[in-house]
Amino acid sequence: METVTLSSAHDKPRLDETLLSFARTHQLPPRAVQAIDLALEEHLTNVFNYGFEPGGHPQVVVRIDQDPDGLTVEISDNGKPFNPLEHPEPDVNLPLVQRPIGGLGIHLIRKSVDQLAYRHEAGRNILTLCKRLAN
Amino acid sequence: MDIKKIVTGNTHELLVAGRIDGPGANQLEEEILASIRNGGQNVYVNLSQASFLCSAGLRVLLQYWRQMKQKQGLLQATSPTPEIDAVLTTSGFRDMLVEKR
Repeated sequence: METVTLSSAHDKPRLDETLLSFARTHQLPPRAVQAIDLALEEHLTNVFNYGFEPGGHPQVVVRIDQDPDGLTVEISDNGKPFNPLEHPEPDVNLPLVQRPIGGLGIHLIRKSVDQLAYRHEAGRNILTLCKRLAN
Repeated sequence: MDIKKIVTGNTHELLVAGRIDGPGANQLEEEILASIRNGGQNVYVNLSQASFLCSAGLRVLLQYWRQMKQKQGLLQATSPTPEIDAVLTTSGFRDMLVEKR
């Protein structure tokens, strides 16, 4: 298991490097790594952009692990309580001229991973992503 | 992320190499805006060397696709890699794709 702590979006390259290193060590299929990479980017963007008041002190912890089922990533943050699973799905069938700008981040997270779970515990939002490694 | 621009008359092709993440999307937006300011009527965002595209990048593409359409211009994404193509399809943005000219 690898653990990375982030206090701002500027720490993201360190997380990217940790994910890549974990993937190389465990010989993970690129498809799974790309999916988790995208889900992490989307979720962390939301956490840092919307999860804290100005002057807040983000503490985001990302844990990356592998088990027989697949790749599991847990992201916990000390931001405002927010359950992304309750966010409504966008209508991706609307013509482009009618599509709202924005709102796709959580949709891409949902479509990238095989399992998604949220809980709020001890003052922290905890989102768990699972991506199966076998087709 | 690196963006090379090829200008032919009022057609601007932006060759994007690397990750279109949050900062990358800001950079892409700046280049699209520069093309518009410099008279670009047809703007093609070539994604053949882009390794990653997230919703921030999608937002930039949609915003300026719409703006160009309103001005009777054109913005299209072209030649996506399979990974990027999957993101464009999942988000319903496939309409924006054209065949590589």
